[in-house]
Amino acid sequence: MALHSINRRKFIQQAGCAAMGSTTLLSTLLNLKTLGAASVFNSTVSGGNDYKALVCILLSGGADAFNMLVPTDQNEYNTYAQTRSNMALGRNALRDLNTLNTSGRSFGVHPAMLYMQNLFNSGELAFISNIGTLIRPVNKQEVYSQSVPLPLGLFSHSDQVMHWQTAVPQERVATGWGGKIADMLRDVNENQQLSMNLSLAGTNLFQMGNRTVEYTLHRENGSVGILRNQDWVGDLQSAAINNMLDKTYADPFKQSYKETIRIGRDGQQQIQSALESLSPFQTSFSDTDLSQSLHMIAKMIASREALGMKRQIFFVDFGGWDTHDELLMTQEDLLLQLDNAIHEFYSVIKEELGLANQVTMFNISEFSRTLTSNGNGTDHAWGSNVFVLGGAVNGQRMYGDYPLLNLGNSNPLEIGGGILIPTTSADSYFAEIALWFGVPESDLSLIFPNLTQFYSPGSGNPIGFLRI
Amino acid sequence: MVIRFKTLLFFFLWITSVRSQSDTITIGAGSPGPITWMASSHVEGSGPEKMLNGNGLDGPFMAASRFLAQAGFGGKKEDIEKVLSMGLESWIDHQFSLPNEHLTDIVDEIMTDIFEARTRAGLDNGEYYGPWAVHFHYAWWTRLMRNEDVLRIKVAQALSEILVVSFNSDIAAWGKGAASYYDVLLRHAFGNYNDMLKEVAVHPVMGYYLSHYNNPKAIPEQNIFPDENFAREVMQLFTIGLYELNPDGTRKKDTSGNDIPSYNIDDIKELARVFTGLGMGAVEKGMVWPPEPRFGLNIYFADKLRPMAMYEDFHDTDEKKLLNGIVLPPGQKGMDDIHQTIDHLFQHPNIGPFIALRLIQRLVKSNPTPAYVGRVAAVFNNNGQGIKGDLKAVVKAILLDKEARSNEDFLSPDNGQVRPPLYRLIHLFKSMTLDLPYEGRYWNNGFDILDGMGHHPLGSPTVFNFYPTDFQPSGPLAAEGLVSPELKIHNTSTAINYINKMYASTAWNSAWWSWEGEQVDQAVEINYDYYMEISHDLEFLINELDKLLTHGQLTDDTRRILRENLIQIYWPSEGLNQYWWRYSRARMAVYLIMISPDYVVFK
Repeated sequence: MALHSINRRKFIQQAGCAAMGSTTLLSTLLNLKTLGAASVFNSTVSGGNDYKALVCILLSGGADAFNMLVPTDQNEYNTYAQTRSNMALGRNALRDLNTLNTSGRSFGVHPAMLYMQNLFNSGELAFISNIGTLIRPVNKQEVYSQSVPLPLGLFSHSDQVMHWQTAVPQERVATGWGGKIADMLRDVNENQQLSMNLSLAGTNLFQMGNRTVEYTLHRENGSVGILRNQDWVGDLQSAAINNMLDKTYADPFKQSYKETIRIGRDGQQQIQSALESLSPFQTSFSDTDLSQSLHMIAKMIASREALGMKRQIFFVDFGGWDTHDELLMTQEDLLLQLDNAIHEFYSVIKEELGLANQVTMFNISEFSRTLTSNGNGTDHAWGSNVFVLGGAVNGQRMYGDYPLLNLGNSNPLEIGGGILIPTTSADSYFAEIALWFGVPESDLSLIFPNLTQFYSPGSGNPIGFLRI
Repeated sequence: MVIRFKTLLFFFLWITSVRSQSDTITIGAGSPGPITWMASSHVEGSGPEKMLNGNGLDGPFMAASRFLAQAGFGGKKEDIEKVLSMGLESWIDHQFSLPNEHLTDIVDEIMTDIFEARTRAGLDNGEYYGPWAVHFHYAWWTRLMRNEDVLRIKVAQALSEILVVSFNSDIAAWGKGAASYYDVLLRHAFGNYNDMLKEVAVHPVMGYYLSHYNNPKAIPEQNIFPDENFAREVMQLFTIGLYELNPDGTRKKDTSGNDIPSYNIDDIKELARVFTGLGMGAVEKGMVWPPEPRFGLNIYFADKLRPMAMYEDFHDTDEKKLLNGIVLPPGQKGMDDIHQTIDHLFQHPNIGPFIALRLIQRLVKSNPTPAYVGRVAAVFNNNGQGIKGDLKAVVKAILLDKEARSNEDFLSPDNGQVRPPLYRLIHLFKSMTLDLPYEGRYWNNGFDILDGMGHHPLGSPTVFNFYPTDFQPSGPLAAEGLVSPELKIHNTSTAINYINKMYASTAWNSAWWSWEGEQVDQAVEINYDYYMEISHDLEFLINELDKLLTHGQLTDDTRRILRENLIQIYWPSEGLNQYWWRYSRARMAVYLIMISPDYVVFK
């Protein structure tokens, strides 16, 4: 308790500082409000014995989600095949989904998504369709006339990948929604030295808060220690380094540089000793970077008690989806890796750790790709499809509205070139995940400032794919 | 104490004796010229202590040391003295005049060396794979270490972080193709940005990376339209950026105070039609099939050194409407379309401030004032003789600008940059004497740097470079409204990998090694003999390293930490023991300085 109040006081100071230095009114307001939210949260939620983890997989490059989730009834498939031309998958190769909530329409997944098909059909995986970055709902006419605000830098990697991580698409801000959640909830973790946000992808926007910085793990070694000799010269070396790290530098560059090292030093011993006391999993993980990353995440989840963690947010960047070229070949290869890695990870979480209900995995990606072909690939588009996996998921269902895939005037969502206007806001998706993780409903709009354009707080789940 | 001071005084008299009259130093406040920043008492890290120990007397040398770390990667005492004796502008002109060694030639030389060594060892060269990325790495380090033209390499590397292609793709298999791409940047580093852009646009490695190789015109009835990848990035990353800029690089605003986009999706679609019809320039040497180049053949079959060729049948010849009302008439030859488009982008008012900011960030500082960006952009726009895009003039403007050279405010919070990990390593290797076995080979496989620290030539994860221009970590930098691109790759893993690389470079002498095994076994070691020799004189040891590595900016606090540590690395017995404490002390001094915030943050 004493620890908590000290941390809260620190938070007040730091949040105050950050607010003073912020460049925009919006982020200033957010910082000030987040402050209030933290106290609400502490009074209502802390003290519980629950554990929850989020695993965010970024499919960076812009995954072609309309070849991951494909309509299979004859009419809709024919439209799909005509629009996608030489990028279309064969009807017979698609893996059928036994959907519970798409009366009259049927869907399948990419042939490489074997385990994801099984997880969907067993009720542990769901898809959200035609989802994307939005500031408010828009229609085709409004997009053409630009009479309503649209996300900055539509179709651009650097901007869209930023918006999926910040949930503030009208601005370029330096903090992400995973970081803001950690800012809000961090006091529930007994261990205040190690970040709630653990990254397998280095520094990233999603996990960056106003007072939260990610801890970067190495996918095979966990954390890296500072090399030294175990002798008195080594002791002197450590002492000198500690002297450099334990002081505060007035220069902001120097302070930032050394602070990362300090965090690394402090976390390293805890993580290493936790990892050493783990017994190996029965499940073996493939030799891909993604499988190895998820393996490390599973180990960190298994170490939750040793590390004093009740909440953990993980981030993995799985790249290579920018398939302007060789879409069909590349996507099959990537989806096989994804499907295997998810299978391995979920087997450990569910069967070996018994934590299926407490771990939710979800994906983001900057955009889906043009429905039309550029010859042997596809270009940047907007609305996409995403998946969410875990025991808490109301699975075997598709959420949002799977769009029509025809081109031109007859499709109210297609704005040219095979680009679709999203009908579900990414904010609604994020907000539901945040709710499940423990953010109070009344505080959602502090993290997701545009959320009220799509959802009325108090009206239940924003989308409904998680049991909260 | 007295003896030590005399020793130092002697040393500094010797240093100052090789300098010209204009560098004469006056101790105390108010002295004009380069000395003021070392001796003025309001500056952190100066103060009476340095004046006493003599280190504060050496302002011009420190300033030259700092300059050489901006214009190059730092260097040995003689390298810095050369800057001092020539003067900054003459040194730059001298750099411009040095011959440019081609990376492709070095790749050939390396492959020949390897094959000959393997033949001598009775090994089958058919079993050997390459040239691939590792041979590019060997060649890059070889070129860096055996040539004097550090400014050209520094600028080319900066350009490679703007005009990005990456080994994080099939390019990893094309070591010589990548070298050929980098040669374009080296060649034009002291040329014209427009000429460079035209070569970049048709280089097959770029064609592959941004997928305009084999990009055909539309087939509307099949819903097939041109690839937009290169069209988008040539605007967003290589020329004009997302938003309209003022001449000083700040963003223009509309009447509601919003940023004004430079282009929209329709502009991208028009531009995508320009970059249609490019395919292989020649068939890869030694291939028995295909018999001749044609459009549509996989790049695997293409000669990655030959520019892409235009296949008019696959080029969209309809009219194209470019930005700002420029129209490419129908029926033009494909290459004419491409050249006119690049000329058009090059005339856009954004390009000056856009490129100026990026080059300033790579060479000098992360947060230049708009005025500094504006001055450099003006030179980009006109080199004084009416020529736009003259990179020699731009580089000179960046390095000689008062904001790069100022001795007044250089320790202020908004000045400086975090040195990227690759440059920290090069700085150490260029500052120290290296022990080179095997005919002076400098083959560095580089993968420990790329994988461990996330920074190595052509190793960016994506076309968006290792770090974005506007990266702002939360914490004190965000509170000050400052950006620090390089901190994007500074995390709990890369930060400690760097520290450990410094440990290997000092405690174990190990600078780098190749992957060639015993046939051409090659490892480079650092020779610390000089620092061992002087290590009994602690102040002198620290000062010597301060001059080369931290340009006189070691703060009092860091000096105290060093002193407290190093004084204890001592045991007064004779023989071998004397060697070992000198060994440990000299290496510890280098290690601690190289990982210190005073070093890594380059002010």
